[in-house]
Amino acid sequence: MKLIVTRPEHDITTRFISRWSELYFDMARKKSIEICDLKGNKATKKELIGRLKKLNPELVILNGHGGDDCIAGHENEVLIRSGENENVLKSRVTYAISCNSAKVLGNKFKDCDKTAYIGYSDKFIFTLNFNNSTRPLKDERAKPFMESSNHVIESLLKGHTAKEASDRSKSTFKKNFIKLLSSNSDPDAIQDAQFLWWDMRHQVCIGNGDKKL
Amino acid sequence: MGISDDKKNDGNNINIDEEIRELVMARLKILDRNTIISIGSDGKFSPDELITHVEKGDDIGEKISEIQMEWLRAFKEGIIK
Repeated sequence: MKLIVTRPEHDITTRFISRWSELYFDMARKKSIEICDLKGNKATKKELIGRLKKLNPELVILNGHGGDDCIAGHENEVLIRSGENENVLKSRVTYAISCNSAKVLGNKFKDCDKTAYIGYSDKFIFTLNFNNSTRPLKDERAKPFMESSNHVIESLLKGHTAKEASDRSKSTFKKNFIKLLSSNSDPDAIQDAQFLWWDMRHQVCIGNGDKKL
Repeated sequence: MGISDDKKNDGNNINIDEEIRELVMARLKILDRNTIISIGSDGKFSPDELITHVEKGDDIGEKISEIQMEWLRAFKEGIIK
């Protein structure tokens, strides 16, 4: 089994998501899954399309900025755009950790019985502590967001279907925002809970929810 | 619904929007000063920068207000307990 992940790192948002992605690499390797890691300046359209054709991976993870109809990579180069090249994601499970892309791009797969697309239909928002800008994995503010998002991939790797993986991720978002709400009256915790709830609410699974790796 | 009712409702909505904006700014003001809020491709913002966007009522400010409003609605409807 194979997976491709794009990990642009050209700004603080992409750098945080990229670093937290490394946490599921070990799990994938233990399951003998071959990882094609398009990190930093390798997260380009040419590299991604070439590797998709060559490796034919079952799982595609796209980290990067997005819009309603696209997902971008290094320096915001558009990698996949609806109506242009979304077919490269057909017959695969895709998880897009980017804003808005489920709205139009993901929706292209709504009637595809061989494809599953998990993504966000609105802004993917998270908070972090400026003092940890260079140490993303040490950041306790970002942790509940990244942990909840990563749960999609961990669940897929464990053999759950796409819909189950999304539901399990949403449960983690919920667990985390309830924990923040109930633990104290710290204004940072309440604000973070609000954004976690927002992300959970806009995570969607489109296409064949029964598809698994 | 008559014209006068429409106007009355519009007035109420304006008040609600303004109250939501004030609530959002009040909440942002008390966040830890080291907080960074990442809003995808719109960028990263300090609480003070977000307050400016909310004051201006631009797209970023409106998004933050929308999140606040949806959150309050979810509480009211018992979706969040």
